[in-house]
Amino acid sequence: MAILEVHEVTSGYGEVQILWGVNLSLQQGQLTALVGANGAGKTTLLRTIMGLIKPWSGRILFEGQDVSKLPPHKKADMGLVLVPEGRQLFTSMTVLENLEMGATPRRARPYFKRNLELVFEMFPRLKERMHQKAGTMSGGERQMLAVARGLMAHPKVLMIDEMSLGLAPVLVLQLFESLNKLREVGITTLLVEQNVHLALSVTDYAYVMAHGKVELEGPSEQIAQDPHVQKAYLGI
Amino acid sequence: MMESVISFLISVTPFLIDGLLLGFVFGVAAMGLTLIWGVMDVINLAHGPIISLAMFGVYLLTVTLGWGNPYIALIVVAALALPIGMGIYYIAVNRVIDAPHLSSLLATYSVNMMLMGVMNAVFGGAPRNIEYSLGTIQIGESITIPTARLVAAVAAAGIATALYFFLYRTRIGRYIRAVTDNRDAAELVGVPSTRILALSFGIGTLLAAFAGGLIATIFPFTIFEGSKYELKSFVIGVLGGLGNPIGSLFGGLILGVIEGLVPMFLETSWTPVIEFTLFVLILLVRPTGLFGGKS
Repeated sequence: MAILEVHEVTSGYGEVQILWGVNLSLQQGQLTALVGANGAGKTTLLRTIMGLIKPWSGRILFEGQDVSKLPPHKKADMGLVLVPEGRQLFTSMTVLENLEMGATPRRARPYFKRNLELVFEMFPRLKERMHQKAGTMSGGERQMLAVARGLMAHPKVLMIDEMSLGLAPVLVLQLFESLNKLREVGITTLLVEQNVHLALSVTDYAYVMAHGKVELEGPSEQIAQDPHVQKAYLGI
Repeated sequence: MMESVISFLISVTPFLIDGLLLGFVFGVAAMGLTLIWGVMDVINLAHGPIISLAMFGVYLLTVTLGWGNPYIALIVVAALALPIGMGIYYIAVNRVIDAPHLSSLLATYSVNMMLMGVMNAVFGGAPRNIEYSLGTIQIGESITIPTARLVAAVAAAGIATALYFFLYRTRIGRYIRAVTDNRDAAELVGVPSTRILALSFGIGTLLAAFAGGLIATIFPFTIFEGSKYELKSFVIGVLGGLGNPIGSLFGGLILGVIEGLVPMFLETSWTPVIEFTLFVLILLVRPTGLFGGKS
């Protein structure tokens, strides 16, 4: 069953059109990858799905309901959550306060303690740094906090933008391992990644974007075997 | 030698106390301005007229309607200021909040012109005075404090403390800090940021009105009185760190002391010169303010 469906969505910034009719759907409980070159429109698509940019045309359905015109906070309330590119933490707040902010949606509040235990188990580092200001942490720790804050929202769908950007390979592996945990607890995840090889190896399904459109989609294993993808993104 | 130092200290003390007491009130006025700046990067040029309006509001209730007690009137006026401020936000500010700073500056300046125009038409330019004396308090032989000033300082310190607890100990306060820090991120975690901006504008207006009402219990005033405190609020805001409402309280105390002491050595008319020299110096040397602010 599709929990999130994107139908023929177009959008952009000002007069510049970036998305030219994107179709995408996320299956309940699956881990999906969204890959593509820089400037293909991946981040714009996520921002449009959340409502940070208004779609120019097309429809976005969340659990069958049309949410195309809803502002981001309403979507977060419903369980559609974005971990934005560049982390976008509350840098003047402590780690714990960031996590508390993550649990803003009403539906997340009863699970606060449980989710806090979950994210501390996934990222023990955050527990150690609980009372430190988010702005003073290292890049890796900030990325962990961004993902953890997203999880505190008790999401049904979690979209993560460029999780591995600028991180050491060890950390990247560690973060990717934690993704399996998400599947275990039943969170549908959309992973936007520039590390195509890694993304295709952990996900169930994948979309390849180019020039503001979905160029190719299919099970991740199959996409990884595609000659064009191998040539363009995997350097094989 | 020793004797002259002591007599100097004795002569300075009343001015110092006077300045400190007024400083609390200056601080609260500035908090209103700097809270709005911090949360939404809007310089509220309607700050002064709101202060004046609150003075006349207190006057109207106390004298014209004959309530008699300005402190009850003050609470009513401050409570009304919250929805009025939120209204100003939705009508004049919300639509230009993402536009360049000049747009919001012009929008709040328009509100300023409207409020001044209405007050000029209704009240005219004549000074008003609220006759309500709480007497004085005598400390030792040389220090006499008008009780109204002490009450104003305590009330101002009280509302500043309340603001602190609201911002740092409540859920809504945390939302305000989150929107201040990063509006997009706040929206993404589920904070209705437009409502939070409106609420912040309302609280900023409430603080300005509260300060205005307190000043009205101390000094006579005209409809132009608020603009003086608007200018002071800019100086204090920069002293305490723009966007740091708690720093404003300390900035207010510093300005209060300056205002208390300057008249001992120079003509009172030099006060603004000294204040704005300080303003420029701090902008040059430490633009985030003495107590840190929003970068």
